[in-house]
Amino acid sequence: MGGIGSNIMPRTTIKRPLAPMKLIRISLILCLFLFLVIVFSLLLGTAKVSMNQLWCLFVGSPKANEMVKLIVFKIRLPRIVLAGITGFSLSLGGVVFQALLRNPLADPFILGVSSGGALGAVIGIILGLGFGLGIPLMSFAGALLAIYLVLVMGRRKIGMESSTILLAGVIINAFFTSIIMFFIATSANDRLHTMLFWLYGDLSQSLYSQSLVIGPVLFIGFIILFGLARHLNVITAGEETALHLGVNVERAKMICFLVVSLIIGLVVSFSGLIGFVGLIVPHLGRMAFGSDHRVLLPVSSLGGAVFLIAADTIARTVISPSELPVGVITAFIGAPFFVYLLKTRGSGWARS
Amino acid sequence: MGKVLKLRKVGFSYGQTWALRELAFSLQSGELVGILGPNGSGKSTLLKVVDGILSAQEGEVLLKGLPISAYSRSDLAREVAMVAQESHFRFSFSVLEIVLMGRFPYLSRFQFEGRHDMDVVFEALRATHCLELMERPIHELSGGEKQRVLIARALAQEPTVMLLDEPTSFLDLRYKREIFDLLWLLAHNTGLGVVVVSHDIDLAARYCDRMVMLKEGRIYSTGPPEEVITASNIAAVYGCEVTVDNNPTTQSPRVSIV
Repeated sequence: MGGIGSNIMPRTTIKRPLAPMKLIRISLILCLFLFLVIVFSLLLGTAKVSMNQLWCLFVGSPKANEMVKLIVFKIRLPRIVLAGITGFSLSLGGVVFQALLRNPLADPFILGVSSGGALGAVIGIILGLGFGLGIPLMSFAGALLAIYLVLVMGRRKIGMESSTILLAGVIINAFFTSIIMFFIATSANDRLHTMLFWLYGDLSQSLYSQSLVIGPVLFIGFIILFGLARHLNVITAGEETALHLGVNVERAKMICFLVVSLIIGLVVSFSGLIGFVGLIVPHLGRMAFGSDHRVLLPVSSLGGAVFLIAADTIARTVISPSELPVGVITAFIGAPFFVYLLKTRGSGWARS
Repeated sequence: MGKVLKLRKVGFSYGQTWALRELAFSLQSGELVGILGPNGSGKSTLLKVVDGILSAQEGEVLLKGLPISAYSRSDLAREVAMVAQESHFRFSFSVLEIVLMGRFPYLSRFQFEGRHDMDVVFEALRATHCLELMERPIHELSGGEKQRVLIARALAQEPTVMLLDEPTSFLDLRYKREIFDLLWLLAHNTGLGVVVVSHDIDLAARYCDRMVMLKEGRIYSTGPPEEVITASNIAAVYGCEVTVDNNPTTQSPRVSIV
């Protein structure tokens, strides 16, 4: 390198498109958004909570109202935390699937991975397993099975580029959902009957303990995936190209699929089938910040948390005092969005 | 200038038939070698064997004296760069981001590109005249521009060997020439070993130091262009009657179909 014309043009250098400081700045701005949406969500609901009351509560002022304390810490906050974690996970899963399958329409729900996880959870409940380890493991297995089926069904000689993969996901989704319905309808298990609601995604039963189970897994999973961000960049340019550029493609894919299945499986076993989050948020992330996964992973994940907290706030306030499952809200926004993407982008991503 | 690449009696089969058979080939640094042959004669397979995408069932491929099986994928990517035939970009990356991907084998997991990486990328963009394209999204470029960007990305790998699979096939005359000018400069000015598979026989004959003509996975003829590009060789390998004379301006062999 280096010989050509080096004495003709003065040596100038170019700025790198992504510096660590830029990444931190963007992430901090999104964290600020996250904070604002959390505060907003704590205030909104059937029972009135004022900004002043909330402030008293958090600074530990003696003026804090016991009733408000109960609403904020026992009812709203656990739900907001789980909504945030769920949105973070689904959106993260969406970004990773889109890169690995090189299809901007991929998302854990559309690919049937969520329903695979849900089926695993339902079987776990029927078998009488606990939410501590047994059910999450069954969900993980279910999500992994769904990914495996999608990959096998969608595989063609030319690779994973066609919309076949999406069709495979739709079919798996329909099939798994019908099995779940069958179990719910035939089982005498009382716990399952409440899960009809849960098929549309439901955060109303949120507990801190659930977030405590997912939180550490999500944290470690995110670090692992972030470490593979440049791998994902290169894989979007084609698997063979990635090999030429030195990526151990098979290993990277395997790690990504395992980590994402684990996260999605866990999330689904607590919050049910919430669709389209992993489709909408990464798309907006790409429009705003481009396709570099080192930015896209944190941006989409944090954005997913913001999005789902906002959607869940709408779900529990829009027909107050009654509630909607949050999946209804996300599908209501997401399905038209999917059509829009299909019309404008096809199954490729070319911003023009 | 030492031998950077050496193939000894390499054989590769996709199953029933041999795509490459008893293939012996070597490449020196600073050399531009053209690979010719009809469709299915094993040209692309040869490149894939050299780049370790496929592993030869017979013989061995030595890179700087070591068998390529001894290299990890990223070690190999620091030595051998490939400009593949088709590349489609489904995600919106800028030209600069695409070329930066060439630095992949040099960066550790959580590392960001540093000063040296940017210098290398700058040189690669400058050598390929892509500096002014830097900010453009890759999918908006013309075929010729895209090909130059891919060569820039290959250069960013700081390889000792560059392989190109039909880099000029969908380009118009001016871009074809531009690409070969560039390859010639890279080989002769920077000491890169370049292997280019091409269907543009006349053009390759004009630029390449040496040519290899493949037929059914074996080397049919190899040597300087004027020895390889003969009417009888082309008739035997491509099954097509041609006349070969010399281009009056450049004196390089010129093929005309009769």
